[in-house]
Amino acid sequence: MGSSPKVLIIDDTEEVLTALCKYFKQKKYNVLSASNGLDGLKMIELEKDSLDIIITDLVLPNISGVAVISIVKKKYPDLPVIAITGWGEHPESLAKEAKADLVMEKPFKLPALEKATRELLRDKE
Amino acid sequence: MGVPIIGISDSIQRIKELVAHVAHTGLNTVISGESGVGKEVVAQSLYQKSPRLGKPFVKINCAALPEGLLESELFGYERGAFTGAEQKRRGKFQLAHGGVLLLDEIGDMPMALQAKLLHVLQSGEFSPLGSEKDFKTDTWVIAATNHDLKLDISEGKFREDLYYRLNIIKVYISPLRERPEDIVPLIEYYVEDYASQLGGNNIQNPDPEVIERLRTYHWPGNVRELQNVLKRMLVLGDHERIVDELFETHTAQSDNDGVPSERSGPANAASLVDFKAYDPMNNGAFSLKKVKKKAVDQVEKEVISYVLQKTDWNRSKASKILKVSYKTLLNKISELEITPPNA
Repeated sequence: MGSSPKVLIIDDTEEVLTALCKYFKQKKYNVLSASNGLDGLKMIELEKDSLDIIITDLVLPNISGVAVISIVKKKYPDLPVIAITGWGEHPESLAKEAKADLVMEKPFKLPALEKATRELLRDKE
Repeated sequence: MGVPIIGISDSIQRIKELVAHVAHTGLNTVISGESGVGKEVVAQSLYQKSPRLGKPFVKINCAALPEGLLESELFGYERGAFTGAEQKRRGKFQLAHGGVLLLDEIGDMPMALQAKLLHVLQSGEFSPLGSEKDFKTDTWVIAATNHDLKLDISEGKFREDLYYRLNIIKVYISPLRERPEDIVPLIEYYVEDYASQLGGNNIQNPDPEVIERLRTYHWPGNVRELQNVLKRMLVLGDHERIVDELFETHTAQSDNDGVPSERSGPANAASLVDFKAYDPMNNGAFSLKKVKKKAVDQVEKEVISYVLQKTDWNRSKASKILKVSYKTLLNKISELEITPPNA
């Protein structure tokens, strides 16, 4: 991994997605984004060799974040995934079952998410 | 092979793409959309493209059975589990093992059973009624619904935890009126399909004018309604009249404020029930059964009249074509008051 880790952010709330992308770009990440699970999954397939980490919302149109995590962890078990969720207990436990590396509940501070991302990337190396 | 997903609209293309990406996963799936949009076609397509093809595809309609029966149908029972359980019986979960279980009309599943279903989905195990043993199940659960489950949750009719457990993959099929570009490909597919089923050489394909009119209709009953109209056209032949009737029904419906334009079900409802004069909301004599009887009578009368006309009222020949006994046909003729042209 070079100095600019490649992160894919998936969230269907435009403001959240924009804010996350902006923050991670500022922090010198190479940022990719998708607003639903299907587009996210297609991007993962396309970028699987260069992608370093995925941050995904859990409740998404078509393919949920839970499904994205489950598919990624089956195909690319070493690719770390952070689940972010604004919903109650249920999807959160589903994300853990799907083996998300970390589940963060909204609202969270952007620096806390970035720190967690950095730590997971370090663990991966 | 089942029926393919037909359509060129963006939303149908997107569904095909989605199916291709998730069919291998076996993750719980909910297919939603109005009645008649083709939810089962999508479920079949997921199954056809999955590694589970060749294993069982089992379907159960959650709205069609009372709670107790639905439970025993789903999970099975042991001998003596309840009065009348003389033999043990395998449930749909067992029958669908290794394959797909389609839970149709999941929104109508009673709450108590939703809890049991949730338990099965969480644990991957179930036990038949009266059994002490738990069975492992490897079943791809696909649920279908025309409900807005989110709304059902807010009204306390659907469990939120079950909702999230099921909605790992979501497929929404939009109503046909929102994707008119799919109508012509659907017509082409089904005309060919039905023509080969009917096997006759006298099949008259709808001409471009008729197709154009069908394309502009709003199809409240979606693809299923389109299928029925095409079947009628190919069997009865009088295309113009059938399309005229379709639009007359449509006008009758839009004239009526009491009938919602969405989810209004079969297009012919207004021709069977005069909602203004005979409002089901305020009429004790109204019953669904009566409407059903009237609908069936209407269609039977039309088809029998047609066949009788074509056979020059040769009742014996007509009964063979209709595949009913001679006696049944005579009964129907008198019951439906079908009269020979020169009577």
